[in-house]
Amino acid sequence: MHAFSYARPATLMEAVSLLAEHGPSARVLAGGTDLVIRLRDGTLTPDVVVDVKRIPELRPRIELGDGRLSISAGTVMTDVAADERVRRHFPALVEAARVVGSVQIRNRATLAGNVCNASPAADTAPPLLVYRAVAVAIGPEGIRRIPLDELFVRSGQTTLTRGELVTAIELPLPERRTGAAHLRRTRRRGHDLASVTLCCAVDEAGVTRIAYGSVGPRPVLEVDPSGLLADPAAPSETTAAALERMFAAASPSPGSMRASPEYRLAMLRVLGVRALRTALARLVEG
Amino acid sequence: MSAVRVGDAPRRVGGEARVTGRQQYVADIHLAHELHVKLVTLPVARARIGGIDTSAALALPGVRFVMTAADLPQPVPRFGPQFRDRPIIATDETKYHGDPVAAVAAETKDAAEAAARLVRVAWEELPAVTTVAAALDPTAPLVQDPAIRPNDPLAATNVLREHPVSWGDLDAAAASADLVVENVYTFPMVTHFAIEPHAFIAAPDGDGIAVWSSIQHPNWLQRVIAQLLDLPLAKVRVYAPDPGGGFGGKQHAKYEPLLAFMALRAGRPVRLVLTLEETFQAVRRTAAEVRVRTGLRSDGTLAFEDIEANYLIGAYADIADRVVGKGSYPACGPYRVPAARILARSILSHTVPSTAFRGFGNPQVNWAVESNLTEAAARLGIDPLELRLRNLARRGEAFIPFDTPCDGDWEQTVRRAAELIGWNTPAPAGRGRGIALGIKSGPTTGLSYSTVRLLADGSVVVYAGTSDMGQGARTVFAQIASQELGASLDAVTVVMGDTGVVPYDQQTSASRSTVLMGNAVLAACRDIQAKLRSMAARLHGVDEAEVVVDRGVVRLRGRELPIIDVLKPGLGSLGGELIGLGEMRKEADPDHPLGGTAAFFEFNCTAVEAEVDEETGDVTIARYVTVSDVGKAINPLQVRMQDEGAAIQGLGHTLLEQYIFDGHGRIRNLGAIDYRIPTSMDLPVEMISEIVENEDGPGPYGSKGMSEGALLCVAAAVAGAVRDASGVVIRDLPLTPERVWRALRDRDRS
Amino acid sequence: MDQGIPIELTVNGRRRTLVVAPRHTLLEVIRDELALTGTKECCLVGECGACTVRLDERIVDSCLVLAVEADGCVVTTVEGLAAGDRLTRLQAAFLDHGGVQCGFCIPGQVMAADDLLRRNPHPSLQEVEEGLAGNLCRCGCYGQIAEAVLATAAGDPEGEA
Repeated sequence: MHAFSYARPATLMEAVSLLAEHGPSARVLAGGTDLVIRLRDGTLTPDVVVDVKRIPELRPRIELGDGRLSISAGTVMTDVAADERVRRHFPALVEAARVVGSVQIRNRATLAGNVCNASPAADTAPPLLVYRAVAVAIGPEGIRRIPLDELFVRSGQTTLTRGELVTAIELPLPERRTGAAHLRRTRRRGHDLASVTLCCAVDEAGVTRIAYGSVGPRPVLEVDPSGLLADPAAPSETTAAALERMFAAASPSPGSMRASPEYRLAMLRVLGVRALRTALARLVEG
Repeated sequence: MSAVRVGDAPRRVGGEARVTGRQQYVADIHLAHELHVKLVTLPVARARIGGIDTSAALALPGVRFVMTAADLPQPVPRFGPQFRDRPIIATDETKYHGDPVAAVAAETKDAAEAAARLVRVAWEELPAVTTVAAALDPTAPLVQDPAIRPNDPLAATNVLREHPVSWGDLDAAAASADLVVENVYTFPMVTHFAIEPHAFIAAPDGDGIAVWSSIQHPNWLQRVIAQLLDLPLAKVRVYAPDPGGGFGGKQHAKYEPLLAFMALRAGRPVRLVLTLEETFQAVRRTAAEVRVRTGLRSDGTLAFEDIEANYLIGAYADIADRVVGKGSYPACGPYRVPAARILARSILSHTVPSTAFRGFGNPQVNWAVESNLTEAAARLGIDPLELRLRNLARRGEAFIPFDTPCDGDWEQTVRRAAELIGWNTPAPAGRGRGIALGIKSGPTTGLSYSTVRLLADGSVVVYAGTSDMGQGARTVFAQIASQELGASLDAVTVVMGDTGVVPYDQQTSASRSTVLMGNAVLAACRDIQAKLRSMAARLHGVDEAEVVVDRGVVRLRGRELPIIDVLKPGLGSLGGELIGLGEMRKEADPDHPLGGTAAFFEFNCTAVEAEVDEETGDVTIARYVTVSDVGKAINPLQVRMQDEGAAIQGLGHTLLEQYIFDGHGRIRNLGAIDYRIPTSMDLPVEMISEIVENEDGPGPYGSKGMSEGALLCVAAAVAGAVRDASGVVIRDLPLTPERVWRALRDRDRS
Repeated sequence: MDQGIPIELTVNGRRRTLVVAPRHTLLEVIRDELALTGTKECCLVGECGACTVRLDERIVDSCLVLAVEADGCVVTTVEGLAAGDRLTRLQAAFLDHGGVQCGFCIPGQVMAADDLLRRNPHPSLQEVEEGLAGNLCRCGCYGQIAEAVLATAAGDPEGEA
């Protein structure tokens, strides 16, 4: 690894100030499960690595209040998946968090880090999008609440500006009863990066939200308010056509080693149908 | 604690060190004043090397020197187990992605890595051949300098060697065939991915040199180093700690010669531990394209096999040509085949040098030939198990005319596997079944020595040059000594992995060690038993002929004495010990195509029940059965572990693994993220392994070698099940979900 | 020039004070500075689990943790599991059930299995397979390792010496 300086700010303001000062030559270190790999392979060569884990506000914490579940930036996947409130209100997020890497990885990888890393294949991105997650960021200009759909740009890039740091991911409690499911395609059953990752949620008003990743430069969110997809009596050609519209934005890269674009697009549809079916079943079960 | 018996399953000798972390693998060993080495490679398959500018690298603090071809004796010495084709470091050309150009030696790992990045190599990309078709093209660049093979007409091509084997009258047989099935099958490049990356240390040792290596063949390495450095063997000491997984990938010298020269230049120890990515660039299995033409009569009996196997080896031959010759030789399988023509070629390419890998060339042809039999069965309307049984060789039949005859009750193995999979019961809905047979020739020559010392208190030291890389050789030898000399297992010490102390062993490969070294250990024990007989006769005033020493007990005149009761008085006031020497030798046969007949065959039947997800192409193995004919399991637990481990490794190349290249011959999926091997979650739902023990092997107590058999026919059995479940036929590995999915779509279109 | 950062951590029950470079991983420091070579290097990208250690009561891949991050933490490596020369029941079970071949992955497997049993004293087979999915074994001991873990959970290590 190239040498770099290590900073461990004790406060949010210190962190923001460091990030503002160094801009792209500083990288945030939370769980490290993405960053350390890239430091080792030389695809990232920051001057400063800013370890945010000792900042009190960022320490692992999941809080319910104001109709929102707030997951602090230091919260790791293991804790997200184990939290009773996440399980109750956002079960598809649990499904996704549980398949990020292995136990060892989940004990370090943070939800916020997974988001900020902005990999199009991030497994937590589709459920977060479906559940209307918001990233709370603090920067030199103050605090911003960024809906996740407005956060992702492309692989490795978000709309965070210089000096900004995500402090929490907030999930508004669903206002309507919802059924949701997360599915993905991998090369093996053991932990793997997804070649398609998808989440579908249907609520009792029939609004269907589908988000998917690894089939384009960033995770995509599509919403169908028509109620068509949620209607079990709808003819399958109509459902298929509606789903097709949801997947129109998919544009998998031809250069990937993991799967061909053709396969990914086909699996997107297979997963879409399966996730929709499961989401509807869960909605009915309540 | 009493002596264990052969057939018991005591805890693995050396196991405690493994579960506590105390086991010292090469990378765990540090010598005082060691220098760290880092290799410099180029990001291309093949390049002409221009100048190498080391000035920036040398300017870094802590960097001692940078070794390049110019720093070695000229012409740069070459080595290789079959051809001396590999220079110690690349000279004017790099021949594969990962072929080292320079090596940095520095005080710290960090300095070596930083310096390696600063070595400036002027290089020019050259056209590279990385496939069979490209290598065989008449206009293809030659991988190997033709001067290495003078007087060889093939030297003007990339075909290193051809291995023809034939018997019977093929034309007549073809005329008698009612059905001919002809297909081409491919087996990809895969890598060993031992969890321990290769590691090497070299250090000046008085007027000689000491080398530590994760090598499977310490004596062979000793010879290579001695020759390259022009030292007597007695001045080259090889330490070979247990490798953390070998599977064949650690059989032959890789960077030890380079490190030896660096150590002598530095006057200090030098160490190199490869990264996992570098191991992918150091070793792999030979890939193959196999065209099989099988002729059968309508009753399913085989008329002929006509097999052309093009094996793609790497840029340096290593042992790959032997892989091709030996692997293709029993390609027809364990069957009565009236006429056969096998032509295998080892074809050079600008890729990672392929080397030995569990199965040694057999899995590649087995994939093709067994799959072809399954297709033949389908076309004839005969059950694929029945077809195989109808042709299966019986004990004593010379199924390969000039080789060891069938040496087991193979039908017993096959029927047991069929029974365990429930072959004659209907498969559950949505599932299909496949069955395949695998055969591999054991070692064709061999030489192992062992010395055993029975110490004054009855404890035992066994010296055996075998490499225990997990197969449990150490335990097997300890069990033999324990049983023969009546010592409890914890009073037996096995010394391995030190050419300075342990007598000669040819190598650890070909599943040979239980038979060859086991017999040497047994012979050494028998030597001691002879001495004990003599001792007992003297002590008790009887004729030696009246004394029997058997399994730790001395019998004479109707009495039974524990060995210690003879040993102690026998050694008398001067004390001492009894030393036994054992040798097991299998001589070469220069007229034989392989240099010798097979000491034994490994025989396995694998049966699989699987389902295919029609929408995604996922293959789920519901039940996996593997049965091997092993003669005698000296340690049944270790035998089971080897067979199940082989099966899982085979599932890797069947379902998951392959190198992926870019247009420049560079490997894209170096490392663990994009080269997938089976995890604990990728196992068959149910795995059943059994053995057949008829005590009919040449090893101690009727044992045969084992450990490769269960890997041979994994792919054909799985593909057979996929075919049965879904109707799709796939002739290329791995059976990734995407590949299966495409085949399903092709099926639906037609 | 590497920054030298002083850290204090507890390793296998002993307080250690070290000065480390930011770019050195916990794995490197454990092996090279503390000479605890039981924890192994293999993939270095958090895939194989050979480098698994316990960090503040959770198992992690130490190749992905910078040593500086472990400041003030409690670290347990495989050497810290057994009490002196006595194997734990889990370690004994690995041997008794044939869960060990070449042994290179085993320290990581033992750490992961130990962690699983602490969190879930009576896991199902599926939970064992998931819990240890982050530990690759090329020798293919998975089935026997699972048996060893289940046997330990059942309180029945076969043939303990």
